[in-house]
Amino acid sequence: MAQFIQVLILGLALGGVIALMGSGLSLVFGVMRIVNLAHPSLIIAGAYVAYWAFKLWGIDPIVMLPIAALILAGIGVLLYRLMFEQEAKSARYSEMTVLLTFALAMMVEGLLGAFFTNTQRVTSPDYATDAFFISDIFIPKGQLYAGIVSLVIIGGLALFLKYSRMGYAIRATTQNRDAAELLGVNVNLVSVVAFAIGIGLAGAAGALVSFVFSFFPAKQWEWIAMLMSVVVLGGMGSILGTVVAAFSLSVIAAFVGTWVGATWSTMTFFLALFVILLIRPEGLFGEKPEMA
Amino acid sequence: MAATLQTPDTGAVLAARKAHDEKLAKRADQTRAIWFPVTVLAVLLALPLLQFTGNYNYLLHLVLFTASYVVMAAGWNILGGFAGYVSLGHAVFFAIGGYFSGVLLARFGISTLLTAPLAGLLAAVCGYLIGQITLKVRGPSFIISSIALLMIARILFDHWTFIGGANGLALPINDLPVLWAKLPYYYAFIFMAAFTVWATYRIKHSKLGLGLRALSKDEIKAESAGIDTRFYKVVAFALSAFFVGMAGAVWGEYLTYLRPNIFLIILVSANLVLMCILGGKGTIAGPVVGAVLIVGINELFVATMGASELNLFGTGLVMAVALMFFPLGVVGTLARKGKLPRILNWD
Repeated sequence: MAQFIQVLILGLALGGVIALMGSGLSLVFGVMRIVNLAHPSLIIAGAYVAYWAFKLWGIDPIVMLPIAALILAGIGVLLYRLMFEQEAKSARYSEMTVLLTFALAMMVEGLLGAFFTNTQRVTSPDYATDAFFISDIFIPKGQLYAGIVSLVIIGGLALFLKYSRMGYAIRATTQNRDAAELLGVNVNLVSVVAFAIGIGLAGAAGALVSFVFSFFPAKQWEWIAMLMSVVVLGGMGSILGTVVAAFSLSVIAAFVGTWVGATWSTMTFFLALFVILLIRPEGLFGEKPEMA
Repeated sequence: MAATLQTPDTGAVLAARKAHDEKLAKRADQTRAIWFPVTVLAVLLALPLLQFTGNYNYLLHLVLFTASYVVMAAGWNILGGFAGYVSLGHAVFFAIGGYFSGVLLARFGISTLLTAPLAGLLAAVCGYLIGQITLKVRGPSFIISSIALLMIARILFDHWTFIGGANGLALPINDLPVLWAKLPYYYAFIFMAAFTVWATYRIKHSKLGLGLRALSKDEIKAESAGIDTRFYKVVAFALSAFFVGMAGAVWGEYLTYLRPNIFLIILVSANLVLMCILGGKGTIAGPVVGAVLIVGINELFVATMGASELNLFGTGLVMAVALMFFPLGVVGTLARKGKLPRILNWD
């Protein structure tokens, strides 16, 4: 029983970070119908920001988080202007856009690899290797803090989407782009803002990831499949779905990792993706996907 | 005075239609220059004669490398170009073919040149089974599922000790002198490339190809026009897996070792996609043009920059620029402008 609770806690602790990693992806898909395969590579870029800030100046990754998010959001606006402005105008999904983000992912990985080499890195603030003990159950501090920060950020995002005027416009655009435009929503501005927030979330997630997982540029392919399974299970475009899916898959992966074997823990995500696509392609909280 | 309606003679109508079709075919033939691919093939077949005058192994390697990518890109084109299902997981079939023939070579000493068609068949069967699952969804979900397929295969191959796990498998080296060691693989790849290009031409102009092109435009309309879209898609997936698997088999022996981090990387899949897009998706000449261009650009990058990471960046950059400015590819763009030179009109 103690082991059961232990594994459950470890799974839940990671779930928050994974939810944050996936939420930006989900937001961008909802507003722009872009499956952003470059999202994980940008998370890794955010992780490098936090890593170097810690390494060079000893700035705590959690303190660095808003800065990493801002830097990445700026990059997001730039990328939007350079690459996705034309595509975003058509509200429909297109194969070309996915390939475009794929090309972007390769470019980011290539650049990061050329500058920082492909060695495994991890930021190591004191709490990253520390843990709380409740009788014989331990809760790793790093993962706990990362999970809490993630949930706070996602909560803030949810409040922003629910109550602010811009959030209202973003939700309207997600539901029906043409109708939103007819009612006077500046869809173009909404797209830029949503894309910037999405990439900014990648930066924020990166800062947390930097001390929760070890990372290197080529790790993005593993994360693409992992995050996609989270986002697809949750339903493309639904933030709530992403959070629920992230926690459930993370807990399942933790149990698989303990009882079946560590290598099969990542496999959980990939197999889950297949099963979801097979049984319920629209995910838990998503609408039926349109036939593009 | 009742005007009698003239009932048209059915035979005459059929004859007229046939004549019309033949006229169209003739006109299509006139825009084509069949001598060009034949000449290129003849030159490539004669190229190893250069070896009598010196060591041209690098040149042979480049041609062989290009030909191997022609096989795979043209195979990918059947699914990605004709049917419009973009797969980023075709490296899986490359690995299946390579490992199947490689294991046969390592255990029983049977040359992969003989087992390559079998490896292709195995890849096709796997493609058929996987296609049954993943082709249920289209659009972004299909692309994602193909990436997941690659990741699953990578984990399986990395931990399967029978085939060497992550360390891979060393294959015996043939005992030909250095000057002629590449020759069997050279001819194998040239032959396979020619066969694949011919096969994609036949597929494009068959009933299957017509159905695939119809469903790539609009799947629901194609379905309601009586095309068994499900079956067509899966067959296209299996066919494209066949060619990729065949190329993987011979490539393994040429490389003399098999390792998951060579066969099962996304860069292999990405190259196939890139070649088809750069050359022209859904055209016959497109993958060939794309393969020549990409191998050329690649060699240039490696020669000037060396680093493999920048190479990755370059690949991504070329892909992004091609997608943003020439989404139809070289052949497609030229054909749309009506400026396609006759030597490249293979459709």
